Amino acid sequence: MYVDNVIEGFYNAVNGSRVLLFVNYDIDAICAARILQHLFRCDTIAYTLVPVSGIQDLRQAYEENCEEVKYVVLVNCGGTIDIVELLEPEEHVIFYLLDSHRPTDLCNVFSSSQVRIIGNSDPEEGIPEFDDVFREDSDEEEDNSGEDSDPEESRAAKRMRMSEEAILKRRENRLWAEKRDRIVFNYTQFSYYGKASAVQMFELALSLSKDTTDLLWCAIIGVTEQYLLGKVEKQQYVLDSGTLQGYVSKLSHNLDEDPTEAANSTPVTVPRISFTKDLQLALYRHWTVEASLRHSMYSACKLKLWTLKGERRLHELLVDMGLPLVQSRQKFSAMDMVLRQEFHSMIEKLAEKYELDQLVFASFILQYGFRNKYCASDVVYSMLALLESTGREKSSKDCFLEAMDALSRPKKNLLEDGIEKAKVMLTSIFKMVQAALDMQMVISGGPFLYFIIQEGALNARQFSHPHTLILLAQFVLQAYVMVRKKKATNLPLIASAPLDADEGTCLVVGIPPVIEDSPKNFFGKAFEQAAEKTNARAQLDYFDSSVMKLKMEDRSKFFDALAALLS
Amino acid sequence: MFCEKSLNLIKELDRSTEAMPAFDDDGVRQVFEEMRGLYDQNVAAANDSTADPDGTAIAGIAIRHAALERNKRCLMAYVYNRIRKVRNMRWQFGSILPPEIKANLCEPEIQWFNSYSKTLALYMKSIGDQGLNLAQDVKPPKSLYVEVRSLTDYGKFEMDNGEVVLLKKHSTHLMSRAQCEPLIIQGILEQITH
Repeated sequence: MYVDNVIEGFYNAVNGSRVLLFVNYDIDAICAARILQHLFRCDTIAYTLVPVSGIQDLRQAYEENCEEVKYVVLVNCGGTIDIVELLEPEEHVIFYLLDSHRPTDLCNVFSSSQVRIIGNSDPEEGIPEFDDVFREDSDEEEDNSGEDSDPEESRAAKRMRMSEEAILKRRENRLWAEKRDRIVFNYTQFSYYGKASAVQMFELALSLSKDTTDLLWCAIIGVTEQYLLGKVEKQQYVLDSGTLQGYVSKLSHNLDEDPTEAANSTPVTVPRISFTKDLQLALYRHWTVEASLRHSMYSACKLKLWTLKGERRLHELLVDMGLPLVQSRQKFSAMDMVLRQEFHSMIEKLAEKYELDQLVFASFILQYGFRNKYCASDVVYSMLALLESTGREKSSKDCFLEAMDALSRPKKNLLEDGIEKAKVMLTSIFKMVQAALDMQMVISGGPFLYFIIQEGALNARQFSHPHTLILLAQFVLQAYVMVRKKKATNLPLIASAPLDADEGTCLVVGIPPVIEDSPKNFFGKAFEQAAEKTNARAQLDYFDSSVMKLKMEDRSKFFDALAALLS
Repeated sequence: MFCEKSLNLIKELDRSTEAMPAFDDDGVRQVFEEMRGLYDQNVAAANDSTADPDGTAIAGIAIRHAALERNKRCLMAYVYNRIRKVRNMRWQFGSILPPEIKANLCEPEIQWFNSYSKTLALYMKSIGDQGLNLAQDVKPPKSLYVEVRSLTDYGKFEMDNGEVVLLKKHSTHLMSRAQCEPLIIQGILEQITH
């Protein structure tokens, strides 16, 4: 059931009792949870927050924490599975789903008692009518009682008619079932993402008049993550950032009223968000220009930087910009003042010549104090790196909390730490792409391409996290398409990396082809069916259905089945 | 000079950076000796009134008396200010003093402290039905609830109102301050600051 009025239907309902919050491992979920935490703190709604990484994890966490809990909020998890069936809760427990994963499970949509979905239902989702999917089988008996009213009919005839009717009925049932299967299949075929949960929560805060710059920053980070990881279309991002810009100007209205006075009276330490044109270069404010150009997916693919020729083109670009090599290898913040100020306009001017026309995009910058200036995309990369920096002594939950803490302004050192980690992450992604293309590790499997990182490859450990692997897969596919030109544009890619050496499992992600404008992903359903057919020991445990765990030995069998299924 | 020693006592107390300087037995005794001497001289001068035809002795007695009075005031100030410190410590540390502070108190001060504690305890017991610990939140906390994070797998924790919370490592909670304060001190929970 959808809750249209979020304040009445959700916030006021839970106000006053303890709430259980489950948060998925992704940046959008973390941002949404932070906004919720702030709201709950303001109204002293006691809560318990537990990070959950997968479906099994969710079930276990629920069993542990369910005692005396009436309200459960699931952030970016559980929307795509039948939550009541999975958790088998007591009847008084009510689940609030705040999930940007689509499609939402039909049982959740139509459950009127226990499941509430926060937000409006988007007509574009194409949710089927209730009658098309569910039907009560109560009319059968009615028919039988109607039969008895005609005693004159002979028994045989009656049986004839009965059986005739039964056949008709069965036939109708079968047709209906077929139709339902078709509708459900069409509905669940593609997995994709809806509105960012962080934005939904910010809008709740806005309508409660509790919006602050910090909360807005969280919402911005949530949207930027969706864009950077290719979870939403570019147009969607432009629309979202437009609305966010409205909120930004609302919040900075008081500061901007009188520019001369504002400059004097408002202290520099007050955080300010500005909406500006930015470059799609990862972390360039904290890195060198050369490194940033090289390791950003967009510029690297357009210039083919993994080849010698590309290297030359990069140098050519730098020359055209009038940026000395020494300066370009210098930290951006240490570059000459003039060069730094002109960097944007220089690269913008040359964008057309080098076919980098999409390099400029609109983004947000947070500034507080004299030294702290962070771009939304840099923060996203930093948090991603923190989230996936598991080590021997650091469990994934530690990383989750670190990524969450990196959002709070006093813990700036965590964010800086994350930026350093993100540099390492991007560098190893680039190296892996280079290796993949040089060694021709991207193999065509018929209807799709696949790319396997072997156990023992350089930095193989780093790619055993879903987000890093998705970033890598997108980079590889883009680069492959640039090399092979037209042939590969309509092929999707599956990437696989070793996950656990002891258990012999690997991580598999699928991403849609480059040519597709919308990031709708059909691998979720395909993975499920292929695993079923081959009896592969696969765990579809992630909330992203296009990510799965698989036994290493079953991989080739699984890919064969997938090829058969998709061709 | 008269009264120099007593003034020194006060100055020392004022200057000391310790929470509780040691009771200066020696200084106090010296002041008493000076006072006894002054008193003896005054008595002698008063008894010997015949030898003072022009009233010079009267002036001497007056000066010495003033010195005596000043000494008395200084000693009182010394004792009073120490007692004030002891009283503040009752609110700071509770009814049991840390040993290093106790060592610096003199016997009457300890007695005073004990009786003060007793009186306070009696008073606190008399407030309301079950008594009220006045020393707990001397400054009102900013909020009744705090955000905490579990550092260890503590297991289930039952709160005053009967609700049960599972304190598992890595989980974050918003709990009432009074409930989780002891757990924070034990190192089971960590308060999150923003």
